[in-house]
Amino acid sequence: MATRRVDFSATEILVGRAVALAILIAAPLVNGQLYFIHVMALAMIAAISALGMQLLLGFSGQLSMGQAAFFGIGAYTSGILTKNFGVPFLVAFVISGLAAAISSLTLAPITRLRGVYLAIATLGFTIIVSLVLRNEEWLTGGSFGLMAIPRPSVGPLVLSEKGIYFLCLLVLVFVYVAFNRLVDSRFGRALQAIMLDEVAARSSGINVTLYKSKCFVIAALVTGFAGCLFAHHSRYLNPDDFSFWKSIEILIMVAVGGIGSMAGAIIGAFVVVLLPEYLRAVEEWRLVIFGALLILFMGLGQSGIVGLISLTLFRARAALRKRAHGLPRSGSVSP
Amino acid sequence: MQPSQLVELAVGGFATGAIYGLIGLGFSMIIRSTGILHFAQGEIMMLGAMFGWMVVAWIPLSFVVVLLIGMLFSGLASALIYLVVYRAMQVRDIPLMNIVIATIGMSILLQNVSMLIWGSEPMSYPKFFAVETYRMGPVHISPQVLWVFALGFGLMILLQAFLAFTRTGIALQAAAQDPETAQLMGVDLTRSTALTFLISGMMAGAAGVLLGSMFFASFNMGFIIGIKAFVAATLGGVGSIGGAMLGGLIFGLIETFSPQWISSGYRDAVGMTLLILILLALPGGLVGLFSRRS
Repeated sequence: MATRRVDFSATEILVGRAVALAILIAAPLVNGQLYFIHVMALAMIAAISALGMQLLLGFSGQLSMGQAAFFGIGAYTSGILTKNFGVPFLVAFVISGLAAAISSLTLAPITRLRGVYLAIATLGFTIIVSLVLRNEEWLTGGSFGLMAIPRPSVGPLVLSEKGIYFLCLLVLVFVYVAFNRLVDSRFGRALQAIMLDEVAARSSGINVTLYKSKCFVIAALVTGFAGCLFAHHSRYLNPDDFSFWKSIEILIMVAVGGIGSMAGAIIGAFVVVLLPEYLRAVEEWRLVIFGALLILFMGLGQSGIVGLISLTLFRARAALRKRAHGLPRSGSVSP
Repeated sequence: MQPSQLVELAVGGFATGAIYGLIGLGFSMIIRSTGILHFAQGEIMMLGAMFGWMVVAWIPLSFVVVLLIGMLFSGLASALIYLVVYRAMQVRDIPLMNIVIATIGMSILLQNVSMLIWGSEPMSYPKFFAVETYRMGPVHISPQVLWVFALGFGLMILLQAFLAFTRTGIALQAAAQDPETAQLMGVDLTRSTALTFLISGMMAGAAGVLLGSMFFASFNMGFIIGIKAFVAATLGGVGSIGGAMLGGLIFGLIETFSPQWISSGYRDAVGMTLLILILLALPGGLVGLFSRRS
């Protein structure tokens, strides 16, 4: 009962993905309010960075508190390049991801650290980066922020609010598909072995440190992309948005959505971004709720909202079978 | 810099160092006995500072009494949190990493509940100490700084004595070193871990009142200071009480003197860079240098 395994049938996964994609495509067409589209795009950007975090926490067992730093590096790189140097958006997009990935390479030795020490070292890195963003005024605008970042454009086409929305959706879908393929590959199986038993994996010839560092760099790359989207979406960057609280926020998304599930990371991101929008009345309770949720979900096991959905489906299936056959039968899926 | 100025700065550094030491000690004790990196340790410190301030705003008490009240409140809060939350998770075999994430949740929860209770304004303590500085030749030292240092350091020595010379203290050390054997020898692990949380909470509470009396108390004072205290404990050597004290004092000095060379905007970066370097190059901390086991 300690940790529930998340398990869905192939049909359920397919239906779930199709419905989610359909909702995300239809949402801005049904509800044309600019603010709604703006917030939804923000949630998708958060979801991209949550996917990176999920790869670390859920698939390679690394508790990183450094994601805000990579998010910030991506955002400022793209913001500065497009604003000060007139670099086209698409080029800046690629460079911002690479910048985050390269900066994570400098941290690669840290991935040797285990568990809590990795957490505290990456937290330290986030604090250093946010101080640089705040203090190097000549480059980042300091605490005034970086203003008037151009809208993203593809060739001569300047994207509107709706265009940015679909750009975010495109990147999100791409990262989601890529990550699912990644964890299903040989690479993913090696990660699984490391998660199950690090010593055993090492003795079967898996270079644990290398695999962990690769995850670290991939997560940074994706988070850098998310940062770039954020820069051109809000068009104003403030160092406050990239403090260690952002790292914790990304952690909450993954923990609440469900550790070990890519879909969970996305769901968690939407919950964390959208909940405060719809609970304006309890604005000051927002963080109390998130803190309590974090403790609660960690106490229940680690499968988060996705685990709850999985459990509900399992019960529903069991009830259906019972009705059909008059007695419970052992199914292929276990809770 | 003049020599007298150097001494004044050093004493100030020792005072901050004593505060870091007190908090870092709690980190050390908890991580040694449970493996949990207690991210809410800074918030436990904050609870002591806020509660102490609240009491002293009601009834004008002497500083030592406020200090004891702050310690008691933080200690009880810490033990209660352990028993209700972390203990419940340990019993259910929740992975350590999840408990660590839950301590982050606890940190957020405590901060924001405190903000709802006490508001978001920083609260200043009444002046407990004489404003006139002690003079030793050209050196001027404020009584407050001296007292903070003396009380902080005194508490750490008291704790060290408790752990080394009392039956309970020795049992605590045994339980931290080898839980299973200690249990076979009749040590109640739940009780000893709860006691560990109680003591580390009391030390943090003392740090809170000391810090509050020097500057101010506010709901968000804890997190960064907690992390820096962890840096200090890592510098000294995680898991070692003497290491936490030593690390605290050295880190206090480093932080006090670093603005002489580095822009003050990067004050916190000094500690974090140090943290990453130590973790990579010297995982055993300074204490590890002297007691290297095979």
